Amino acid sequence: MSSDQTDELGIEEGSKQKQIRRRKLYDRLARHVVFVGGAGIIFCIIAILFFIGIETIPLWKSPGKKLESVSEMEDRLASGAPSGQVRIFDIGVDEYREQFFTVDSLGSVRFFTLEEEPKLLKTHTVSHKTTGYASFYSARTNTSYAIADREGYVVPFEVSFRVEFREGTERTIVSRVTEGDALRVAEEPIEMFAYQSSPETGAPVVVAYTASKRLLAYAEVEEEGFLGESETEVFTTDLTGELGGAVVTGVQVDSEAENLYVSTANGKLYHWSLSDPSSPELKSMLAATADPGVAVTRIGFLLGHRSLIVGDAAGNVSVWFETTSGGEESRLAKIHVFPPLPAAVDRFSASQRGRGFLASDTSGNISLYQATSAAKQLDFPGRGKPYAGLSFSPKANGVVAVDSDMMLSSYYLDNPHPETNFRTLFGKIWYEGYDRPRYVWQSTGGTDEFEPKFSLTPLAYGTLKGAIYTMILSIPLAILAAICVSQFLHPSIRNVVKPVIEVMAALPSVVLGFLAGLWLAPLLEKIFVATLVMPFMVIGLTLFALFLWHRLPFSFSGRFRVGAELFTLVGVIGIAVVLSLWLNGPLESLIFAGDFRDWFFSMFDLRYDQRNMLVVGFAMGFTVIPIIFTISEDALSSVPRTLSAGSLALGANRWQTAMRIVLPAASAGIFSAVMIGFGRAVGETMIVLMATGNTPVMDWSFFNGFRALSANIAVELPEAPHGGTLYRVLFLTAILLFAVTFLLNTLAEVLSQRLRRKYAQSDA
Amino acid sequence: MLSGEPMERQEFRAPEINGVAPAPKAKKPEKAKPVPDPLVKVEDLSLFYGTKQALQDINMNIPRRQVTAFIGPSGCGKSTLLRCFNRLNDLIDDCRIEGEISINGKSIFNSDVDITDLRKRVGMVFQKSNPFPKSIYENVAYGARIAGIKKKSVLDDIVEKNLKRAALWDEVNDRLNDSAMGLSGGQQQRLCIARAIAVEPDVLLMDEPCSALDPIATAKIEDLVTELKNKFTIVIVTHNMQQAARVSDYTAFMYIGDIVEFDTTEKIFLNPAKKHTEDYVSGKFG
Ligand SMILES: Nc1ncnc2c1ncn2[C@@H]1O[C@H](COP(=O)(O)OP(=O)(O)O)[C@@H](O)[C@H]1O
Ligand SMILES: [Mg+2]
Repeated sequence: MSSDQTDELGIEEGSKQKQIRRRKLYDRLARHVVFVGGAGIIFCIIAILFFIGIETIPLWKSPGKKLESVSEMEDRLASGAPSGQVRIFDIGVDEYREQFFTVDSLGSVRFFTLEEEPKLLKTHTVSHKTTGYASFYSARTNTSYAIADREGYVVPFEVSFRVEFREGTERTIVSRVTEGDALRVAEEPIEMFAYQSSPETGAPVVVAYTASKRLLAYAEVEEEGFLGESETEVFTTDLTGELGGAVVTGVQVDSEAENLYVSTANGKLYHWSLSDPSSPELKSMLAATADPGVAVTRIGFLLGHRSLIVGDAAGNVSVWFETTSGGEESRLAKIHVFPPLPAAVDRFSASQRGRGFLASDTSGNISLYQATSAAKQLDFPGRGKPYAGLSFSPKANGVVAVDSDMMLSSYYLDNPHPETNFRTLFGKIWYEGYDRPRYVWQSTGGTDEFEPKFSLTPLAYGTLKGAIYTMILSIPLAILAAICVSQFLHPSIRNVVKPVIEVMAALPSVVLGFLAGLWLAPLLEKIFVATLVMPFMVIGLTLFALFLWHRLPFSFSGRFRVGAELFTLVGVIGIAVVLSLWLNGPLESLIFAGDFRDWFFSMFDLRYDQRNMLVVGFAMGFTVIPIIFTISEDALSSVPRTLSAGSLALGANRWQTAMRIVLPAASAGIFSAVMIGFGRAVGETMIVLMATGNTPVMDWSFFNGFRALSANIAVELPEAPHGGTLYRVLFLTAILLFAVTFLLNTLAEVLSQRLRRKYAQSDA
Repeated sequence: MLSGEPMERQEFRAPEINGVAPAPKAKKPEKAKPVPDPLVKVEDLSLFYGTKQALQDINMNIPRRQVTAFIGPSGCGKSTLLRCFNRLNDLIDDCRIEGEISINGKSIFNSDVDITDLRKRVGMVFQKSNPFPKSIYENVAYGARIAGIKKKSVLDDIVEKNLKRAALWDEVNDRLNDSAMGLSGGQQQRLCIARAIAVEPDVLLMDEPCSALDPIATAKIEDLVTELKNKFTIVIVTHNMQQAARVSDYTAFMYIGDIVEFDTTEKIFLNPAKKHTEDYVSGKFG
């Protein structure tokens, strides 16, 4: 056909051939360019996903362990004393896992290199003069300790490590032991005790269980004397009576020196308040084991000293903390139960990096537990002997244990993100101090002891809440506008209205968010009642005006173009708005008794946030409505005129034609429009960031804010340390966001294809 | 279309085509040719698309329960005139109408005329078949549904009756709920006829209903038209002279917005009064 044309144009054969060849070349070239472009884009998207995905992989990795060394320590540990006469109380490790130390019954702290053949680096012997030490307490893992001797003295001491760079780049770790004053707590050997010093005053608190089975609480209280000089007063309270003759198996005082926990051989757990150090108050006495014949064998603290780990003779491990669950008063309750150990629980060592802890049993098995997710993460099979010392390294990346045969094993632990698994990321978790399991996002807290809460559910919820409410506000407006413009207005009006609405979509969302958050939010709060009334007012007055229009004689109204009456509506709408604003005050005092916020709160328990869903809905409408409107309008306009003419010719009016013929025929396009709008609403960041309070609450209320996945990334990323759990969780958020949008778009495409097939036009 | 482009003004003034002299301008206001039992009366009808006049002082009577054919070269205003009868021209912006059309003695331009009611009485079948993208059933039931009929049994009866009238029932009765888009062109056109007559109109307008169909489908529609004239007053626009001769009782020959000659089909084809008509029907131009 085209060659016919060239013939007609009178172009000779040779150049014709050349032209054909050239055209073929262009054709091929264009095809390749298009292919490369398309494939490139797909490749880029996959690559981006891939790189984001890689960042999140460590979150899912199950922890790994590597046995780094096993060494026979008998001779080294016993050096200077006859074998069997020295008892190892516990061991500790430094941050870099280069040294470890033992604390023994001679009162020595001995530092060794942590390697296949440990070398003794230094021995520090506590200066307190005594015949030997009977018991030991670890006030904080790897740093703060106390030992008690046979005369009833308690000696606190701290172990610290300092990194020095000597001569060049060689890193040297220098250990140091700082002793505190010995305290005379009892007149007899102390079998078991707990020692803490008050964080405010530094005053020591000791609770000791003595050889004569007495439980004594010892506290020093600083008091101002007559002349302003400070005096130290010592209170010793005997708590034995309250135990009812039970044998004590564990004593723990928290780092605030406010709570005393005592476990007994008859399976009980006692809790005293030490708020007033001079008179401890028994708060509760609970059965900690399934039956009283089973003894609680060990108790210990998790990081932060707010959760108590309890182990019993049957190997059961559980975590307890104070909660208001089930009552007004906060009380100690068993929260997490873990898979048990094979034998009686013997020792605990808590992580200093999270809610993980190690527990060992009397036959030498060690398990790594994670309290937040209530899961067992790893097992370290034992050699049949109980441990004399067990330490979780400060960075939670190593385990050092010495058993009763003086065999030292050191493990490397690869567990960078112990707190994340599917459950903690998406499930309900009972966090420390909460009244029940909840979905919570709270990535950072004031201290290192903060328990991070990485539930993505409230964020996904926020995203969906924002998007769905936005759609509820936008879809009717956008589609009705599209129907009106494409089916009812004169084309010349349409040519003005459409570009104007499209320009709205071009507004940067930062500007919209800014306006919404700083201008609209306070304004809406002021004219809230008017805003509620406005839709009804506008619709009512409009209908009234249209009714009046219809009553006008045709000789008058017929002179206007069809659809021109809509322009008079602009004025009517204006009047409706003004009227609503004017009614704002009177209505608020009439219906809402003066203040709608109080009214909502007292009537429905609804809290009104200034930056709420309504504000977001308005602002997001500005971005979403134009998208839905334009695409729907195109879809509606491209429905063949012959179809609507066919309907009109059958006596249908324009509304019936629009709703029954044009709308279904355009449904595929409208559906796509809605889904694309939804995708936009899901991915929108700046508006939800600026126009909501970004509180990750899960509440469908229209009058409070939320935190969306996208806004969360924007809020948290600057604070997230590279490679940290938060950092990786944020990447996961990004993937989730991508997945949601991808899913939505795919779903939209599939469904709109089906609709398209259903309403396919016959024209070829 | 042979000359689908709008004609220029100057062409309109000196319409000398293929050396044929223009039809002598009739003395205005020409009285319309009387027909027995006229249903539709057109008086001094002029129509303007913007400033362009598409119909000039049309006067004619359309007989009841007869087939009236409009013939004439492309662009002469056949469709425009047809669309006047159901006021479908109202949809076209800048379209202005002068004159009068009455059906059953009642003007259709009166302000008290309900336009949807008018269109129910004046059905239309379009040049290009335009079934709705719905099922066959829903297409036929559409008019009834619009009129507010909801009862399934009534709708069923309407669908069956009109598909039978349109000679389509045997072909589609086993797939009434399939999409109408799956039908052949001829079937689609008959479906559109069924849809139009399901409203029980007085007048059925057909604008070149066969122009896109093959001869067999065309023959079926022609048979159908002959069949339907017992019940309806039919006005059919056609390009095909033979078709007009076969199906119609009266024929109007139009030329550039004017009715050159209107008479019984026999007269127009065998013994036209005007030379111009004779030239056209004998195929000297077109
Ligand atoms: N919607 C319209 N707007 C402007 N001019 C039109 C329109 N429809 C038809 N016309 C013009 O009116 C004249 C008659 O057209 P039409 O009735 O379609 O002719 P026919 O059906 O006889 O081929 C033509 O010149 C055509 O260009
Ligand atoms: Mg035509």
